[in-house]
Order: sequence, then structure tokens, then C-alpha cells
Amino acid sequence: MQLLKSLPVGLLGLSLAATYASAQETIKIGVIQPLTGSVAYNGTTDVNGSKLAADEINAKGGVLGKKIELIVEDGQCKPADTVNAAEKLIQRDKVVALAGAFCSSATLAAMPVAQNYKIPLVTGVSSAASLTEKGNQWFFRATETDALLAKAFAKILFNELKLRKVAYIGVNDDFGRGGVAEFEKQMQALGATTVMKEYFEHGTSDFYTLLTKLKASGADGAFVAAETQDGSIFVKQKAELGIQTKVFGVGSWATSDFIKLTGASSEGIYAAVPYASTMTSPRNTVFVDAYTQRYKEAPGKYSAAGYNVINILAQAIDRANSTDPEKLREALTKTSYDGPNGHFQFDSTGQAYGFTLVLVQLTSGVPKVVASTTVER
Amino acid sequence: MGLFLQLLANGIVLGTFYALSALGLTLVFGLMRVVNFAHGELYVVGGLIGWALTAVLGLNFFLALAIVVIVLGIAGYLIDRLLIAWVRGEGEEPTILLTIGLSIFIANTALLIVGTTPQTVLSPFLSKPLFLGPVVITQSRLVLVGLCVALIVGTYFLVQKTTLGRAMRATFQDPMAAQLAGIRTAHIYGFTFALGAALAGAAGMLLGSIYVVQVTIGGVISLKAFVIVILGGMGSFAGAIVGGLILGVVEALWGGYVATGYVDAIGFALVIVMLLVRPYGLFGKRVERA
Amino acid sequence: MRLERNVLLIALTVALLAPLAVHNDYVVHIGVNVLFSVILATSFNLIVGYVGEFPLGHTAFFGIGAYTAALLSVCFALPFQVTVITAAFVAALFGLAIGAVTLRLRGPFFVIVTLCFAEVLRLIANNWIDLTNGPMGVSGIAMPAWATSGSILQQKVAFYYAGLLLAALSIFISYRFVYSNVGRAAIAVRENRFVAQSLGIWPFYLGLVTFVLAAAIAGAAGGFYAHYFTYVGPEVFDFSFMITMIIMVLVGGKGTLVGPVVGAFIVVMLDVYLRDFKELRFSIFGLLVIAVVIFLPRGLMGFISRRHETYHREKPGDA
Repeated sequence: MQLLKSLPVGLLGLSLAATYASAQETIKIGVIQPLTGSVAYNGTTDVNGSKLAADEINAKGGVLGKKIELIVEDGQCKPADTVNAAEKLIQRDKVVALAGAFCSSATLAAMPVAQNYKIPLVTGVSSAASLTEKGNQWFFRATETDALLAKAFAKILFNELKLRKVAYIGVNDDFGRGGVAEFEKQMQALGATTVMKEYFEHGTSDFYTLLTKLKASGADGAFVAAETQDGSIFVKQKAELGIQTKVFGVGSWATSDFIKLTGASSEGIYAAVPYASTMTSPRNTVFVDAYTQRYKEAPGKYSAAGYNVINILAQAIDRANSTDPEKLREALTKTSYDGPNGHFQFDSTGQAYGFTLVLVQLTSGVPKVVASTTVER
Repeated sequence: MGLFLQLLANGIVLGTFYALSALGLTLVFGLMRVVNFAHGELYVVGGLIGWALTAVLGLNFFLALAIVVIVLGIAGYLIDRLLIAWVRGEGEEPTILLTIGLSIFIANTALLIVGTTPQTVLSPFLSKPLFLGPVVITQSRLVLVGLCVALIVGTYFLVQKTTLGRAMRATFQDPMAAQLAGIRTAHIYGFTFALGAALAGAAGMLLGSIYVVQVTIGGVISLKAFVIVILGGMGSFAGAIVGGLILGVVEALWGGYVATGYVDAIGFALVIVMLLVRPYGLFGKRVERA
Repeated sequence: MRLERNVLLIALTVALLAPLAVHNDYVVHIGVNVLFSVILATSFNLIVGYVGEFPLGHTAFFGIGAYTAALLSVCFALPFQVTVITAAFVAALFGLAIGAVTLRLRGPFFVIVTLCFAEVLRLIANNWIDLTNGPMGVSGIAMPAWATSGSILQQKVAFYYAGLLLAALSIFISYRFVYSNVGRAAIAVRENRFVAQSLGIWPFYLGLVTFVLAAAIAGAAGGFYAHYFTYVGPEVFDFSFMITMIIMVLVGGKGTLVGPVVGAFIVVMLDVYLRDFKELRFSIFGLLVIAVVIFLPRGLMGFISRRHETYHREKPGDA
């Protein structure tokens, strides 16, 4: 019961923070994620991953002899709130770096703030390609873009899944539209035809109309860009209508919650994700164990994202041997980090490369890795 | 033709669900002139309790439904007696504001208690596809449509044929005269709101078994309910049903033949047109108090 | 009237001098937020307090203003002054169109139809990619020329004064409106529509004038928002801005000029203060709304002016 726990802890924390802060200095990192609103569910898992990373680092003695302190603010995926959160974190809490803000639109709003105040901003989730095309030297993206994902997997979809007539379905926000646009571009370049392209509003509960259209379109495969809430209903209702079309999803489709919500109807669904708990690197096994033990469920894409970002920042602080923003920014450009899903390095635009993307197929409730590729520069 | 039939079937099923969701709202408005902005949140709470009872405690579906109806009825009664009663004589605006505040409070407190994970209500009905000619549907949907119809018919009998229903209608027509006739209007208002809340909660639980139960959808539900209530006429029973069916079918056909992106806008466009042409809805009665 | 005018002048003086005493970026940022909220609250108050109707879709004009300014700035590189004025003008046009349609209705019908309009605009903003870039929004809105030089604090202070100018202008316009014949007629309509009609006042026309004025002010607020946050997306049509407006006017007191100012200040401060409570803060907001509706139906300023009246009335009678 978070309500009961948070109130006394919050009050205690506030009073303790006042005394403790003066007693012992910590390195503060600001985390802006949606904790309320429609993507709160995914935002919270991201924060969970970040907290796990911070605690692990602190258990090993922290960074530069000090403990890392995460200050989490609710950006609600709204630009205005995210900017307010960023202002508060930078001005009042004096954070050395920012992590966030989940939705590309919110991150877009936070980027000028980071640039103005010269504080590094690292995101582990926002995938709109335009973010790294703005020439903002203080912004780093530790995840794939829709374009990179499309380029990596279009070939597999075309050659191995033999998709020739594709239906594109996306949630009507920057993530859904971006994903659909990129994949369509790549697939068409390879020779596939688009038989349907539709968007649905986030929060749609009834997909029957959309699914009826899908059935009537004669597609041999459907590309779906959606998050857990919408994607799970879509998959369930697809099974209810007895539609056999192959489905290939991007978003958080390989998470344990998604599988729990969809049950048997998730059988055979493909998903392209930058992280799956079933990835077989030794680093991942350790991460999965630690996360599962603490949060009683397997980590998903967003948990790994939050985890990676904090680790990258901590390592950069270490490398810079200071928390001076300019030195920190320099150090970030030299990142060479081994995360649960591969090796991360940043190119000159702040885009990460070198990490792994996997195509999984959900079989008996387990995301089985079917193919994997590394993100190229 | 097959496509059309499937879309039509989808629309009718959807429309029935919409009708049940909007019924509570229209009754509360028709009998009490209260626009309940917390309607969507009551729906969500019904779904959450339904989830807690069936998935967490493992109770029988129908037993859980009965409990949801009772719990939300009591909650509705208390909300009316403890909150709305304070502002009852002052016109519509205070109740709108009050229910908006209530909706914010319920939505966020529920979020704090339950968290953000989407859940479902466990029902004993199957979700395997049933093929009726060119139309595909599931057993659970058919049963739910039946349950919705049963609830709607039950409410109709409650309002039209029972003493309580007569007392409700009398209080609406003229509260002073009703009091003179010996009706305890304070209780009646409470019961009416309780009825609205119970219907909202029941809809939330029933629909939560085929869709998803999540705290954040309250606003969307309220909005859709408003659209239906305006289309059909505020306070009109038949209006909610017809309005719901029309909205469901139009959305399905538009989404199927044109584009699914703008589907939500249809409802609003219909409302705007309706308010220009027939402001009081298809079945509304024009009542004006100077 | 005198009390209101004096309070407003005092508030203006304080606001003018405040940045000289404060050197903290964050506080100035809060100040900008307060001013921006004052403009929004004043515009909403015009309709709620002086027409007597409750436009739950008022964010529509704010959103239109924001998008107009954003698109003009990004596509045509027009400066701040031009975009904000154009934003106000375009919002006023929409106010005319929407008002003409919706003011025929009253009570809950008006409430819901304005809400529907705002929702339709949001859906259009979200789907008409060619015009509004859909969910990706319009980013990279240029900061005004006078706000790009100097330190960050100086930039923020520049925005602060711009916001103060806009806020003072909106309140001044409202003040002149309310104490003009048109304003007094609008109050007459609000108090008793039928009696007003019998006096030859045409409620519809008055409602429309007020509506257009309020829309223009909200549009200006939208333009200011666009340049300050440098990003505009369909979320400007969100209900959350509406809720903030409602609470500000409710808490401050509708139908008074000082009410929106007080309400805006309180709500922004509460939001900043409650941020520490994180997820609890919306629950607290909800409870606050309920409490204010029940116990302070005329808001703070309404409460104060009532006390002021009774106090003054009692004085001559005291022995």
C-alpha cells in the first residue's frame, strides 16, 4: 500500500533530508518520469530500474566516495510539467544530471532547459529520431530510435517471416506514428506492400472494428506499435475474433505484465525490443535476478532503460572524476558501458550504438529470442 | 456484406455496453438535475472492486457483481447525503464543480492504492471465437450483452413500477409536493444517486471482464457517457439506450469504412450537430425553470 | 470597486518590484508561471463570473492561441509580439464561431458542448499531421529576441516582465469591461436573465461579446506559453489546464477581478509546494475543490468582500 507507506516516509524523509543533506553530501541525479497519467505504469517500472541501479552502486561505495541520490519528479509525459520538473531539479535540488523524460514530446521540451543550464540529459526511452537531430550537445539517448529498429528488423521480417502484404497499426502518439512511418519506409524499400495503415487513440478499449478491417485487408502480417495497456487488449481481442494473421509488435510486448494480461492469446506473437528478460548474457542474468528479487516480477524494456541510464551516468561521473557539468558531458561522450542488453557507446549526435536488439516470439508465455542484431553506428 | 455484418454486430455490442455505461448518468440527471462528472471514476472503482474480488480473492463472478452493486450503491448514497446535499439548492454549477473535485480525488487515490498496472476482472465466460455465419463473436460478449440488457430492464422496472421509483419521479417533478405527500426527499435523492453509482460500477465490472481495468480511463468513460446522454436526451431512459446504440454503430461503421483515427471525434461531432438541431436530444423533454 | 482597484494596484507594484529582490532562477520561473496562470484565470473568470456560464472547453482558446503562435514562429519566423497578438486574434475568431453556436444553450448543455468542442480540437490537433505535426507537436519555438541575451536569470526576468505586461493588460481590459455599460449589462444577465431581457438587454449578444473577449485573452496566454515552453503539442487541449483554471477561479472567487489573481497565486504555489508530496498532490487538489465548493462557494475574495461589507455596515451602528 503505497499510500500508507509514502506519507510517514515522505514526512520523515523531508525532515531527514534537511538534516542529512547538511551532514553528508550526496551526488544528486534528477529523474523525470511519468508517475501519474496514462503511461504511469511504464514510467514506474523505469524508476524501479533506476532505483535498483542506484542502490547497487551505493552498495559498492557510491561514486567518487559519495552516495548517489535519485530525486524523482513526475513529468506526466506532459511538456509543461516536465519543464517545471526540470527547473525544480536543476534550480532547487542542484542535480548534476537529468534522466528522462520518457515520452519524446516531454523530452523535447526538457532538452532546451538542459542546454540552457548546461546540465546533461540522458534518456533511455524516447525513440523519436528527431531528438538527436537537434544538435543539442547536452542530450544523450541510450536506446534505439524507431528508424534504427526498423532498419535492423525489416530484413528479418521480409526474409524470414516472409511478410509481403503488411498492415500497419499504431497508437496515435509520437511513438506509434514514428514507428509505423519508419517500418513502412523500410519494408516498402524491400518490396512489401502496405494493405492497411490505421491509428487508434491511446486508451481504446474496443479494437473489434480495427481487427475486422485487418481481417478484411488480406494482410499476411500486421505491424503494431503499442504499449502494454493497448497492445494487450489488441492481442486478446485478435484471438477472440479468431484472426490468424502474424503479429509483430514494438513497445513493451515482452514484459511479464503483458504476458500475464494476454494469457494464451499471446502465443506466437513476435516483438522487437531492445531488451527482453530472456536475453542470455551473463550481465543480464544477474540483473534479472536482482530485479525479480526486489520487485517480484521480471524486468522489461523500461526497467532496463532506467537501470542503464543511471549506470551510464555514474560511470561518466567516475570517468570525469568530478561532477562539473562540462567535464561530465565530455565523459559521457566517451561512454563504454556494458549493460544487460549489450555494450553502449555514443556517437557524435548523442545516439547510442553497439547494443543488442532482439526479435522475440512469445511461446508458452516466455519471450523466446528468435533473432538478435546489434545497433550499428 | 460479411464485413458490413461484422461491423454492425460490433457496433451493436459496443452500443449496448455504451448504453449501460450511460444509463446511470442520465438517470441521475433526469431525476436530480445533477451532472455527475465523477461518473467515469465510479465506473473505474466498480471495475477495480470487481478485479479485487474475482482475481485477488477468487470469488464467483455473479457474487462479486452483487457486491460491487451494493458497495457502490452505498458509496453513492453517502456521496449524496454527505456532499451533494450541501449544495443542492444552489443550481447546477456547484454540483458540477463538486463532482469534478470528487472525480480528481477518487481517480488519484485509487491510483495510489492500486497502482498503475492494468488488470482484468476474471469471468467464467469463454473468450474463444464463435462463428455465426460471417460474424465472429465470443461467448463472453454475448453473455455480457445479455447481462447489460437484464440490468437495463431491471432498472426500468425499478423506476417505473416500484413504489421507490414512483417516489423518485415524484420528487423530481416537484420536491415540495413530494415532501407534502410524505416522501422523505433527502433519502430519495440519496437512493437515486446510489442507483446511478451502482449502475456505473456494474458497467465497470462487467466491461472490465472483456476489456481492461485501469484507473486512468475514468475521464474517457465520462466523456463518452456525456455524448450518449446528450444524443439521447438528458434524463431519458430510452434516450440512453438509443443514443448508446447509435453511437456504437456509427463508430463501428465509420471506423470500418473510413478511418479509425478520428473515431472518437464522431461522438463529439454528433453532439454538436444534435445541440444545434435538437438541443434536448432525441427523446429529451424541454423543461425550463425561470 | 475601490477595494478591488486598490488591491490590484498594490499587487501590480509588488509584482513590478519583486524580481529586483529575488535572484533565484527557480523563483522567477514560478513567478512566470503565476503570471501566465493569472492571464488564464482572468479569461475564464470573465465567462464564469460575468456571463454566469461554465465553459468546460475553455482550453480550446488557450490551445488555439498556443498553436497559432507556435506555427507562426516556426514556419514564418515571426517575432513574439506579432505571434502573441495574432494568437489572441485567431482565438477571438474561434470564440466568435464557437460562441455563436454554444451560447444558445445553457446550464449543463453549455458545459458539455464546450467540452466537446475542446475535445474535437484536440483530436484534430492530434490527427491533422500536415498542419500541426500531430502528436509530435511543434517544437523549437524561438525565444523572443529580448530573451536570448544575458544570463539565464536575466532571460527569465525578461519573460517575467513580458508576462506581467500581458497580465496587467488582461486585467485592465477586464476592469474596463466590467465597469462599462456592456459589463454591467452582462452582470444583469447573470443575475436574472429574464428581468434583463425585459429591460431590453439582449443576453445572447452580451454573452458573445464576453466570450470573444475571454477567448482573445486566453489566446494571448497560449501565445505566451508557446514561447516560454518552446514546445506545443495536443496536450494544450488537455483537461488538466481546465482543472487548473477552474480551481483558480473557484478558490479566488468568481465574479471579482482580484479573485483570479489571488486564485492563480495560491494554485501555483500549492502546485510547487505539493510537488514534494508527489502522487498525493492530485488527491489533495480534489479534496480542496470539494472543500471550497462546500464551504467557500464564493471563493476567497467573495468571502473577504462580504466580510468587508458587513464590517462597514456595522460600524455606524456601533455604540
